[in-house]
Amino acid sequence: MTIGFWRLGAAALAFGFAGSALAQQSHPDFSGLYFPAMGPGMRTQTPNPLPYNDAAKKLLADYEKHFTLDDDPGRYCIWPGMPRAVWGAPFTVEIKQRPEDVSIYWEGYGMYRKIYMADHNPPKQLVPSAMGHSVAHWDGDALVVETDKLKPYPYMTRMATSSAAHVSERLHVEQRTAADGKTTKYLVDEIVLTDPKVYTEPVKIKATLQFRPDLSLIEYTCTDTLWDDYLSQRGLTLPDLDALPGGGKE
Amino acid sequence: MRLTLTALLAATFAAFAVPATAHHSFAIYDMTQNIEFKGVVETLKFRNPHMAMTLTHKKPDGTTETINFVEGAPANMLVRMGLDPAVIAPGQEITAIGAPRKDDPNSYFLKAIVLKDGTRFQSVGP
Repeated sequence: MTIGFWRLGAAALAFGFAGSALAQQSHPDFSGLYFPAMGPGMRTQTPNPLPYNDAAKKLLADYEKHFTLDDDPGRYCIWPGMPRAVWGAPFTVEIKQRPEDVSIYWEGYGMYRKIYMADHNPPKQLVPSAMGHSVAHWDGDALVVETDKLKPYPYMTRMATSSAAHVSERLHVEQRTAADGKTTKYLVDEIVLTDPKVYTEPVKIKATLQFRPDLSLIEYTCTDTLWDDYLSQRGLTLPDLDALPGGGKE
Repeated sequence: MRLTLTALLAATFAAFAVPATAHHSFAIYDMTQNIEFKGVVETLKFRNPHMAMTLTHKKPDGTTETINFVEGAPANMLVRMGLDPAVIAPGQEITAIGAPRKDDPNSYFLKAIVLKDGTRFQSVGP
């Protein structure tokens, strides 16, 4: 028997976003569990390849000359951050929506993001961060989000961004019915990345999350290997508590 | 039973290809190869961003060698497929299929695991 991961639990999909009291309000409630949707049209980018300006192209050439595939920020648990996190690692994503904010938790890398509603006195952000500072308002059924205060992501082969980057998003729910009559809900994020220090024009990305209430979150710790490597360099061995007697494991 | 991660990983890495956001490509491995090793699990790290495993493999001449699977799928992906620490542990006899690194043929990407009862957890490739 062959079990394709993408089909796991598909039959268990329950549709509808009306699970909370918020659904009674006029705006859609995005709360729920999702998984990045793969396949034709689920994620697009225009232009492709990225429109690096001449100065950035030089940095890219230099980067490719010195950095190998092993020199990968993901291996060292560096968050992809915005906007890359939106379509990023293939793990469960949980969204919780309140009138004052939307919280997004990505299982992959344990990333989280707060989107503050503009009409609920959003806090100021003091330092640049991987997810930046996001403020949103509703435009009909679409959530329009503006994000700045991003720290640089200087990995030139991975949609690099400078601290001048600005991300505009328009999130909305789409319901699609397949030929077999099966209906699936998606959260579509239409993103425009502008970064005049790096790109000659805005980069438009469409990323799609599939509503997957049948999934669950699994803890994702990423730094164990890094810690092990450090201990090894120091010649240290941690005590093996599991080797102690007791607890019915002898 | 054959549990395949092929679609999962293919989609994963396709997703990262343009533009890549996490992990690295398969390009450092010769993914055309499927080298099979029967042996006993020596060490096993269910970890993110990649699992790792060493296997004690008995060679035809009777001597043993340690095969180093320096990485495989992320632990969370494996667990979602049903390959968790309750299913596989050090000391267990398995068959592991790997693709060697191009610049270090003694290091492998773990493509598939076959348990003694024949259950196969397939990563990338055939």
